[in-house]
Amino acid sequence: MRIARMQTRIAVLTAASVLTVIATQNEPLAQAAPNMTGSWAPMQGGRGGDPKTAPPAATPLVLKAEYKAKYDKQRAADAEATKRGEPPASAAVLCNPYGMPRMLSVASYPIEILQTPGQVTIITEAFSEVRRVYMDQPQQPIDEVPPGYYGHSVGRWEKDTLVVDTVGIKESVPGYQNMPHSDRMRITERIRMVTPDVLHIQLTIDDPVVLEKPVTFTYGYRKMPGYKMVEFVCENNREYIDAEGKVRMRLGAGPAK
Amino acid sequence: MVRMRVALSGLITCALLIGATPVQGHHSFAMFDQGAQVTLVGTVASFEWTNPHAYIFVDVPDGSTTKHWTIELGSTSILQRGGWKFNTLKKGDKVTAVINPLRNGDAGGLLSRITLPDGRALGNGGPPPAAGAPARGAAPGGAAPGGTAPQR
Repeated sequence: MRIARMQTRIAVLTAASVLTVIATQNEPLAQAAPNMTGSWAPMQGGRGGDPKTAPPAATPLVLKAEYKAKYDKQRAADAEATKRGEPPASAAVLCNPYGMPRMLSVASYPIEILQTPGQVTIITEAFSEVRRVYMDQPQQPIDEVPPGYYGHSVGRWEKDTLVVDTVGIKESVPGYQNMPHSDRMRITERIRMVTPDVLHIQLTIDDPVVLEKPVTFTYGYRKMPGYKMVEFVCENNREYIDAEGKVRMRLGAGPAK
Repeated sequence: MVRMRVALSGLITCALLIGATPVQGHHSFAMFDQGAQVTLVGTVASFEWTNPHAYIFVDVPDGSTTKHWTIELGSTSILQRGGWKFNTLKKGDKVTAVINPLRNGDAGGLLSRITLPDGRALGNGGPPPAAGAPARGAAPGGAAPGGTAPQR
């Protein structure tokens, strides 16, 4: 009797699962998700944008005490060096790409979003960086993701918002506002078109090792209809760090000798 | 002939403080003295349309010799949006370039404004500063590789 009831329950559940899968497969993708495909120009600090669609202010960046002291000291040293006319000798001088999350806000460089079945791809103009967001997949455990500039990203639609979860960012990739981060860092993005021409990417960074509490900030973008992304290969970087650790510029035409 | 106009007056310092956004990009531009200007009148030796920066190499008569200057521009993306093309300059073009010189005295600098052989003026991605305008850093959205990068 009990076994028969259980068998019936399993049969019903299996049928329901099959129906769900069929329903999901038949759901037209284009109708379910807003179309974000295209190029988007960043509105730095809301510059050039309608105040009504300007991104909200960031929450404070609160580092744990053991990281804060070193972070504050480095920020002050960099500011002093810049004042003296000595650019900080950072990875940027080496022409390394930005990685996540800073690649999403590089000066006035656009980003391009491509929506295809099962994947959303985000390409930046500066350094031609590429992120792939795998849709409707479970996230991998952090320890299974090879540390990299872009990590592993999975996404899902929550009504009109693309929610993306990213883990596996290499610790050497400079963080938001140059914050240090651990290999436990997790980035949650909520990507939404607030109007047909304005896109917001809200990012929340959680790092239980480094941060007292998660920090949330939002980048705003304006649509660039018809814009063709320009290639960007870092082939002619003339800045270098000399033996004294100072940034210098190589002079003269042609490749380095 | 090299015409040097080095402006480090209090007025310029004030302009820097109140008017200009310090240029930032893939790296700091602190190696250039954005409170100073050097005007170069010379001949283009070559033009490198590359990233992360484009470069102009200009030969400038200096007494009985010729001085070779290296001028840094923004990236090709930023320049393109500011009216530049890959073939805007060619070897032999006579140009007048206003630059923010390297602080260490080397013959190099960051472009502020250039006048082309046909008389057109271009900036470093943004609109060109007016001819004779004092040094004031660089226009927002201008020099390499484009405007302010607040997260840097």
